[in-house]
Amino acid sequence: MKINKIYYLVFGLIVLVPLGLLSENPAWGEWDMEYYEQKLGFVPDGIANASGTTPPLPDYSVPFLGEVSGYYLSAIVGVLLVFGIFYVLKKAIKR
Amino acid sequence: MHIPDGYISPASVVASYMVALPLWFIAFNKLKAKLDEETLPLLSSLSALSFVIMMFNIPIPGGTSGHALGVALIALLFGPWIGFLSLSIVLFIQAIIFGDGGISTFALNSLAMGFAGAFSASFVFERLKNKSYSYFAAGWMSAVASSVVVALVLGIQPYIGSVDGKPLYFPFDLSVTLPALVGSHMVFFGVVEGIFTKIAIKVLGKLEPKYTKNLGANV
Repeated sequence: MKINKIYYLVFGLIVLVPLGLLSENPAWGEWDMEYYEQKLGFVPDGIANASGTTPPLPDYSVPFLGEVSGYYLSAIVGVLLVFGIFYVLKKAIKR
Repeated sequence: MHIPDGYISPASVVASYMVALPLWFIAFNKLKAKLDEETLPLLSSLSALSFVIMMFNIPIPGGTSGHALGVALIALLFGPWIGFLSLSIVLFIQAIIFGDGGISTFALNSLAMGFAGAFSASFVFERLKNKSYSYFAAGWMSAVASSVVVALVLGIQPYIGSVDGKPLYFPFDLSVTLPALVGSHMVFFGVVEGIFTKIAIKVLGKLEPKYTKNLGANV
């Protein structure tokens, strides 16, 4: 079977993904509560009371796993979900 | 640029979903026409690339960081509607599974990084098609256009959501958001997106030439 070479590209980028951990800086605007506390003296109500549901893999980390292995696993989970959703969409569309 | 929950007012949430829903509907119909045995591997791989490239956080001066989006690449190969929908799928996974970007702000994030990103990339690319820098320019524009949408929506929150001068949602106004977000995307992340788009097209053209043959000579 001939493998579509575009998968190499996805695989290669996954291998390099720990490079994304090198930066400690948050994205602009995506600060934690202490930032607002420091900057404004208070946390805006809406931000303080934003729904507190914890996602399964918060901030691309996996419970009980180290930072790098958790980041790897997050990348793999995310990629599999993307492929899964497109596969299901294709099945649903071509019925 | 993934706006978390609680950053925009309820009215902004409702408005963003009302704008996004019909656009998702149109985009889904475009996908229906294009998604088949032939296109599935490429489109799902490009969307996976978008997911992974967003994990490469790049620090910039001033204590913040950012990343490429991968949206221009999809828009150039599949058209802006599919680019918009693919990014929406990626952002949905990021919001639900990883808490990156809110669920109430999912529509807004899709409109910014997906819709504005994809359509601005296609617009620029169509106009520069035969120039060697068209891929870079399309990528750069997609990141900058996304940042404009985010900066505008965040920057109006202090005006529409304050009680006694105390902001309830995002607290900084346009005089802060525009230079910080749009400025950093013009100087840094737009450049990163441009370079990513250019390299990805080049590598793709080498690996599987059939995918890039419709783009013109400058692959």
